[in-house]
Amino acid sequence: MIGTEYYIALSAIIFSIGTVGVLSRRSAIMVFLSIELMLNAANLAMVAFARAWASEGALAAMNGQAAVFIILAIAAAEVAVGLGILVAIFRYRETTELDLLSEMRL
Amino acid sequence: MIDINWVVFAPALSLIIAASVSLLITVFKKNTKLSAIISLIAVAVAAAFNLQLFLNRAEGVQSSFGLEYLADTPALGFNFVILIATALAILISYDYLEKRNLDQIEYYPLMLLSASGALVMVAAGGMITLILGLEIMSLAVYVLAAWKQDSPASEEAGMKYFLLGAFASAFLIYGIAMLFGATGSFNYAAIAASVSSDGFDKIFYAVLASILILVGLGFKTAMFPFHQWAPDVYTGAPMPVTAFMSMVVKTAAFAALFRIAASFLLDMPSFISQILLIMIALTMIVGNMGGLVQTSLKRMLAFSAVAHAGYLGLALFAAKTVGIQAAVWYLTAYVIMNAGAFAVLSLIVDENDQADSLDDIAGLAKTHPALATAFSIFLFSLAGFPLFAGFIGKILVFQAAIENGYVLVAIIGIITSLVAVVYYLRPVIVMYFKNTDNKITIQPSMATTIVIAVAAIVTVLLGILPGWWYGLFEMGQRIVAAG
Repeated sequence: MIGTEYYIALSAIIFSIGTVGVLSRRSAIMVFLSIELMLNAANLAMVAFARAWASEGALAAMNGQAAVFIILAIAAAEVAVGLGILVAIFRYRETTELDLLSEMRL
Repeated sequence: MIDINWVVFAPALSLIIAASVSLLITVFKKNTKLSAIISLIAVAVAAAFNLQLFLNRAEGVQSSFGLEYLADTPALGFNFVILIATALAILISYDYLEKRNLDQIEYYPLMLLSASGALVMVAAGGMITLILGLEIMSLAVYVLAAWKQDSPASEEAGMKYFLLGAFASAFLIYGIAMLFGATGSFNYAAIAASVSSDGFDKIFYAVLASILILVGLGFKTAMFPFHQWAPDVYTGAPMPVTAFMSMVVKTAAFAALFRIAASFLLDMPSFISQILLIMIALTMIVGNMGGLVQTSLKRMLAFSAVAHAGYLGLALFAAKTVGIQAAVWYLTAYVIMNAGAFAVLSLIVDENDQADSLDDIAGLAKTHPALATAFSIFLFSLAGFPLFAGFIGKILVFQAAIENGYVLVAIIGIITSLVAVVYYLRPVIVMYFKNTDNKITIQPSMATTIVIAVAAIVTVLLGILPGWWYGLFEMGQRIVAAG
């Protein structure tokens, strides 16, 4: 059986890729996808931990797995709202470049 | 075992039902004013349920879904603050939206849904309920921030708030995953028990979780270094939405932070507390320094909201003792004076929320003396002058910090609040003493006037008689409900 720490390391790598993506990408859609990557990294970590805690009783394991579904639902809801805002902006400006979205400054 | 106690989440439920009902009604009869009135009634009903729960609080922990949804004294206190803030935001919106053709029917239902999410977040007895409440609240506010469809600033605000908010929740969710790895549970009480037990050996995951959760909630509460979005979003969003964000979202995020601090954050190795300490000190400094250089009043209030997040943070160190009581008091005062200030601004600004610079309010005292007096009361209170609500609030949080041995950060707080007096007083001086002959046209509005009058009276009353509201929320020691 592969140890839990390997899964956590993988999820940390995915989470970092997502973070770098959010900070470096210019297109709102790509930023969006990077955030999804971060959420999925959290899901992977949760499933791995749920397996690790299974020895402590079924409840802890179930908790972790149920949480994954809740987070999937949250991610889906975020996509719906986010794409809605994105479409509204695109209709008005015909671009999703974030650099063009910074008219306000200190 | 299904443990559902309907009364416990009746406040949130009544807001959700009212939102659905007013959406249904407005399908047949497009009337935004009707949905505003339904929303106000719903807030009153929710407050009544909350009062009922509050009167029963001595009979033990009232909870639902097996300690995942609590109605204990902290939750009920924060609930009152959120409901007051929602009612004030609805009243500020009432005429504002119509004058600017923003009165689509979905506005008030979205505001109610967001408030219901805030109630869930405050009542959360575990991490999963917390994240659900946070998302219910945030998703509605993202849309509200981008409400003004043809305004680039509002769209930019919505997009920025959405992307950064989603980024922050990703951090929070990853932190929750790490915390689950460390303790094997999502429930605050179980987490607290696990972290303080002798055999706790997963300190690495717990520390990582603490940092990630601080980042996630730091964004929502607009604490340094995650505050940069706040001035932009607060400036770009329509005025009532800005008021709503700076009151409700901040209250809910702080309530969550208090529970997290009480259940495990303060039990972590001391450098976590030090990180929090530095964040709070810099929040106060950056917020107040930023406020100094603003000319737009709306943006100035945005920086003031950042600075007040720092002052509230001081109470976090006392989260296990008097902190929550102080925070409930501070937030009540903050919500009322902030709502008043935004209500005054919403009367002064033009159609596009512009014309709110210092020059534009010059001589307001001559043309509209009552309005100028009320605005001065709110600014004095925000600055923390004695005899106003803001002063007592600051005393309480400084006291909470000093009693717990955080003297230095409390001194930084006192110095920065003295500096802040400069920018809070500047509009008052301009209103009263600057000679101009510009004619200020304000847009009369009954509902907004009510908000201003009530807020001004309550700000003064709370400042003169601070004891009664404070005494109500005596917490004792038990912040984290133990099963």
